[in-house]
Amino acid sequence: MANNYLESNNRIMGKDLIRYFILIYWISFWLFNVIDKIIGGAHFLFVGKDRFAQMERLFDSLGLGNPIFANTALIITAGLETFAFVFFSGALYHFIKKNIDATRSWFFIGIVLTLTTFTYFSIGDQIFGDHFELLEHGLFWFITLLSWIIFIRIDKIQLFDNFSIGNKQVFASIVFTIVITAVSTFSIFSHNHTSFIERTQVIDAVKITENKYKIKFPFLAGSKAFESSIAKFKADNPSLNINYIYTAPAPLRLAESDGLIIYIQTDSIK
Amino acid sequence: MKEKKTIQLFIQIYWTFFGALTVIDKIVPDVYLYWVGADFYTLFIKSFASLGITDPIFATIALAVISFIEVLAFVCYLFSLINLFKGKDKFSEEWFYRGVSFSVLLFSIFSIGDQVFGDRFNLLEHGIFWIILVVSWAVYKYCSLTEERVINFSLSKDIKIGLLVGTLLTVITSYLILDFSKNTFTNKKQPVQGEEVVQDVYKFDFPFLGDKFVMENTLKAFEEKHPNLKVNYIYTGPDELNSKKKTHMLLYVFTEQQK
Repeated sequence: MANNYLESNNRIMGKDLIRYFILIYWISFWLFNVIDKIIGGAHFLFVGKDRFAQMERLFDSLGLGNPIFANTALIITAGLETFAFVFFSGALYHFIKKNIDATRSWFFIGIVLTLTTFTYFSIGDQIFGDHFELLEHGLFWFITLLSWIIFIRIDKIQLFDNFSIGNKQVFASIVFTIVITAVSTFSIFSHNHTSFIERTQVIDAVKITENKYKIKFPFLAGSKAFESSIAKFKADNPSLNINYIYTAPAPLRLAESDGLIIYIQTDSIK
Repeated sequence: MKEKKTIQLFIQIYWTFFGALTVIDKIVPDVYLYWVGADFYTLFIKSFASLGITDPIFATIALAVISFIEVLAFVCYLFSLINLFKGKDKFSEEWFYRGVSFSVLLFSIFSIGDQVFGDRFNLLEHGIFWIILVVSWAVYKYCSLTEERVINFSLSKDIKIGLLVGTLLTVITSYLILDFSKNTFTNKKQPVQGEEVVQDVYKFDFPFLGDKFVMENTLKAFEEKHPNLKVNYIYTGPDELNSKKKTHMLLYVFTEQQK
């Protein structure tokens, strides 16, 4: 590979920064995808996505329940992702060294591997009939193409000559930032102080008809809040037996302002 | 390796497969062995019924027309790809342009339909594919109009290191994938152990591999373990109760003592 070195020129700093962002984005994108495959399953400090379960269920839907199919597909994916990560990392290394020709070549191979991965995923999405994932992978395919074009054409785009801003504006923007950050931070901490309790808080049931009760949970409520509320309902109504729980579907809730609402149907214990 | 020609090849491969699988999805309209696909027939029937047009002939004609445009687009992409392989770049570009035109027409028709049927999610999907198509054509044209750049990869030291690191990482990842698969595959059939969270109410936290067979095995195992209990109600925990992406499915079983 030819070693053409970039001239040190302050005016291209902004363009270099965009190239750094593109490289760092793709390196971290593939790094975390590989880590997700290495870790597998949800653990403390890393949830990720259980790709094996996802692949196994998809292949099972085709009638290919043997795990060998899901494993093979996952290993091919992991290989493509790993090499994409390595080539983008190599591109970053060469970019730091100002070896622009090598950067472009390594970046190009990373792009080719990324396009291959998303094309491979998109084919699978159509076979498995998952059009939401098809849209997701189509978008990433598109982002890959665009990031290649921006990476190689950024020199042709007129950016500002330097980042200098007047002292008055710098001072005003700093004051403005500090004030708004202080207000939003106070608001976040205050909300945490008053609302975190809702995560596990017991909710009282409201009687709707003779044998039907409603429980309206706050947004933060999790399974513990549900269980505690059911326990309290049973303790408050020892003569009643829960025989049905109806979850209010989205059309019965007020747009985004209602959390989970359940209706409990009971009969008397004989 | 020619940089711009390779990008053109990838653009054409993507749209050729996209077109081919869309056509196959219409030819194979239901779920079969090795093919699931999307049920467009049901979608069209329901969408037309929502307009008050319940006679299936309208939905069937609409689907046939859509399918015809999809076939036209696919044939154009295929001919474009074949010509690119043969080195007939001009013909390839012309066929690709025709394919893109048919696809743009298709996504425009879909978008009009989505608005008529009030399906905003599909409108977003078709709008996004419409812009992806237009931009990928622009990138294709850019590759034709600008000077080609050839990449010569020799097995230099950095390339050797890159390949070695990539291979090592792939081997390690593959080993861990196989290990994880071996350890968790039993979740596909194994019954889930319940936990009594409230008196006579049991919670089952299903693993990601858990499906209807796991549910059946779980209930069977539960009844065998608790012969004195009668299951009188099963409640599926809604998504709001899940810990974001960590929980697959929560199942609550309400029981009472057998008399």
